[in-house]
Amino acid sequence: MATDTEVDLTPRLKTDEMLINMGPQHPATHGVLRLILTLDGEIVRHTEPILGHLHRAQEWQGQNRTWFQYQALIDRVDYLSGMFTSWAMARAAEVVDGCEVPERAEYLRVMVSEMNRITSHLLWLGTYLIDLGAMFGFPFYPFREREKLLELFEEIAGQRMMFNYIRIGGVMRNPKDAWLSKLKKFTEEFPDRVDEYEAIVTENPIFLKRTKGVGILRKELGMDYGITGPSIRASGVNIDLRRTKPYSVYPKLKFDVPVNDRDGDTFDRYIFRIREMRQSNEIIKQCLDMLPQGEISGKKQIAGLRVKAGEGFAAVESPRGTLGCYIISNGSDRAYRIKWRNPSFCNLSILPELLKNHPIADVMAIFGSIDVILPDVDR
Amino acid sequence: MAEGNVQGPSEVPDELKDTVTLTTLEKMIEAMGDLLSPVVSPIANAARSNSVWPLTFGTSCCAIEMMSVGMSKFDISRFGSEVFRATPRQADMIITAGTITRKMAPALITLYEQLPEPKYVIAMGACTVTGGMFNDSYSVVQGVDRIIPVDIYLPGCPPRPEGILDALLKLQQKIRTESYAERKKKKYRQNAVRYVDYDTGRPLEDLVDEARYETALALDPLKSLQESK
Amino acid sequence: MSETPAAKPPEEPKGPGLCGQFLKDHGIATTRLPDSCGVETIEIDGAHLEAAMKLLRGSSEIKLDYLVAVSGVDSADTFDSVYQLWSYSNNNELIIKVRVKKTDVVEGQLPLVPSLSRFWSAANWHERETYDLVGIRYYGHPYLRRILNVWDWDGHPLRRDYKQLVDALNDKAPGSFR
Ligand code: SF4
Repeated sequence: MATDTEVDLTPRLKTDEMLINMGPQHPATHGVLRLILTLDGEIVRHTEPILGHLHRAQEWQGQNRTWFQYQALIDRVDYLSGMFTSWAMARAAEVVDGCEVPERAEYLRVMVSEMNRITSHLLWLGTYLIDLGAMFGFPFYPFREREKLLELFEEIAGQRMMFNYIRIGGVMRNPKDAWLSKLKKFTEEFPDRVDEYEAIVTENPIFLKRTKGVGILRKELGMDYGITGPSIRASGVNIDLRRTKPYSVYPKLKFDVPVNDRDGDTFDRYIFRIREMRQSNEIIKQCLDMLPQGEISGKKQIAGLRVKAGEGFAAVESPRGTLGCYIISNGSDRAYRIKWRNPSFCNLSILPELLKNHPIADVMAIFGSIDVILPDVDR
Repeated sequence: MAEGNVQGPSEVPDELKDTVTLTTLEKMIEAMGDLLSPVVSPIANAARSNSVWPLTFGTSCCAIEMMSVGMSKFDISRFGSEVFRATPRQADMIITAGTITRKMAPALITLYEQLPEPKYVIAMGACTVTGGMFNDSYSVVQGVDRIIPVDIYLPGCPPRPEGILDALLKLQQKIRTESYAERKKKKYRQNAVRYVDYDTGRPLEDLVDEARYETALALDPLKSLQESK
Repeated sequence: MSETPAAKPPEEPKGPGLCGQFLKDHGIATTRLPDSCGVETIEIDGAHLEAAMKLLRGSSEIKLDYLVAVSGVDSADTFDSVYQLWSYSNNNELIIKVRVKKTDVVEGQLPLVPSLSRFWSAANWHERETYDLVGIRYYGHPYLRRILNVWDWDGHPLRRDYKQLVDALNDKAPGSFR
């Protein structure tokens, strides 16, 4: 707020802090977050996020429904990347149960999850630009590609968003050859489409003005708050479970994990998501080539599905970060306790720190860039 | 909502004076009463039904499908729902896309009451029809019709974008066939069905009952005890 | 695929593990519990929790720098507060449990566990959540308030003896859906 005039304006006006309530119904909060902002003029001094407007008692449902029923419910934990929530729980249950997963199922899992990562990032891209004020026009482009993938999902899982495809012990259905060739065609044209987005957005001066140097996330601070996913990789922490704690068939696949070499700002978080989409596309290509024949499920998918007694924690790298599931099973057909470790919940907790001393116009630019999804926060 | 408070169709109830404004055209329609209504209503309805602007109200998964329907492939603006408005004052209907919880209910009620008349509600998704998958969760409202009046129910989890378009067409049909005079006679449907307290997440009427009972108990313990028996 | 180690029947672990030994060297007593799926699991007394965490986080040989999750469990006769810790630099994992016996909890009060949030920001929201859902009071927490449920909610839903509120908004008998 420095002015280059000589006149000293400070003490004459008595200023006071102002409280502003934002949400829970706000077009840019992607759902139902409520922020109570304390403003000093235009500058945000303090933020209090109020969560839970979408608390649907997922964990409570977990211990009240059978495993088989609960599998259908968990896509709703994070609806933009339902494959990952299913996968996290399936992995945790498999670790506890000790059942084997056939190799074909693992490849299919990787494939559909990477597709899901692309759809999730595409939706993020579209809505983020809406948040920044690119109200109409551009957001149509990412949605165009997203629809193509959703059609493929619908073909293989029967639903556009709530797949319930990855099951404990394997996957639900075998893809047809036609499906595989359609996916192949998509992977071939997708990099060009990403170029298209980049041509519109990455060097757009308005976009750069709104994002460069805004909301810088220091590495140490991020680790203190337990931030994961692209948001922390854009700040230089190389934590990607696909590489650091490899699971499934990821060790056999060739791909880079883009990591920044400095503390990232909002623009970095954008560019690293774009790079990640390209990598996901590569992974899908490789999986298509390497897909073996064989069984697709190591456990009978029946209503009386049981998991052996024990406890375990397993995590997958979702588009938003480490998505973990902590299971305590007592050997019956229901879980004794299911705890979700949601990346959005942890990532959101840093918001008050990031918003501090930024003008109110940047609130949505910063909030959008950490890619929070509200049911993932509230469960 | 006082039941005995019967009003002529042309009057706006006192407590709603600041939210309801009658245009000159509407005043004329009313003055002519039932006589002219069959002639003017269809024209007004046709205009109204082809420009139903929704409010951007989405709480969860269904909101993503609502977003898709506005985007390139499905394009809801072909049917007159041109843009999603971010403020209820500029919108004609709410598509309640997503689960409504006890904590969210007060916000939805406020939004509903802020919409100018005539206003419509499409309950989108199993969650807002009955509570859906989360029907028995302790924190979920089992259907938005427990808190606000609903015109169209659209089941599905989530409904496909085509489903939303279908619901919109059904709503347009409903608007076209309704008589404006009739709608007035049924009173202004300004109010929510029931109000919810933000801090306790319970219906206001329950809290009022409880408070009444407690005051009665404090004033005259013996009598209220006998009554409760 | 052999990525999922087969779950063995929980056998009695022999001697302290890597982190348990480290804590023992620094004078903090721990009890080793059966490993949960190959991850070292220790039980620690609530009074030593903060000191132990400081050591584990600060030392260069262990360096558990990510607090992944804090969960509350209403077990048969204890309330457990479970901490999942990961090391980004050393690729290490540890699960710490703090147990409060149900018989030790004063009637009408919540079990007490020390809070980590002053020293580890990630713990802040996790502890609020556990307080909300399981009803474990983290003393020393700067702002222990319900986070997911409404502020004046009654009871803690993930307790085994939780009775669901039935009113005009939600009147299905619990479980009727299944
Ligand atoms: S109906 Fe299904 S998709 Fe829609 S909000 Fe409810 S759970 Fe989500």
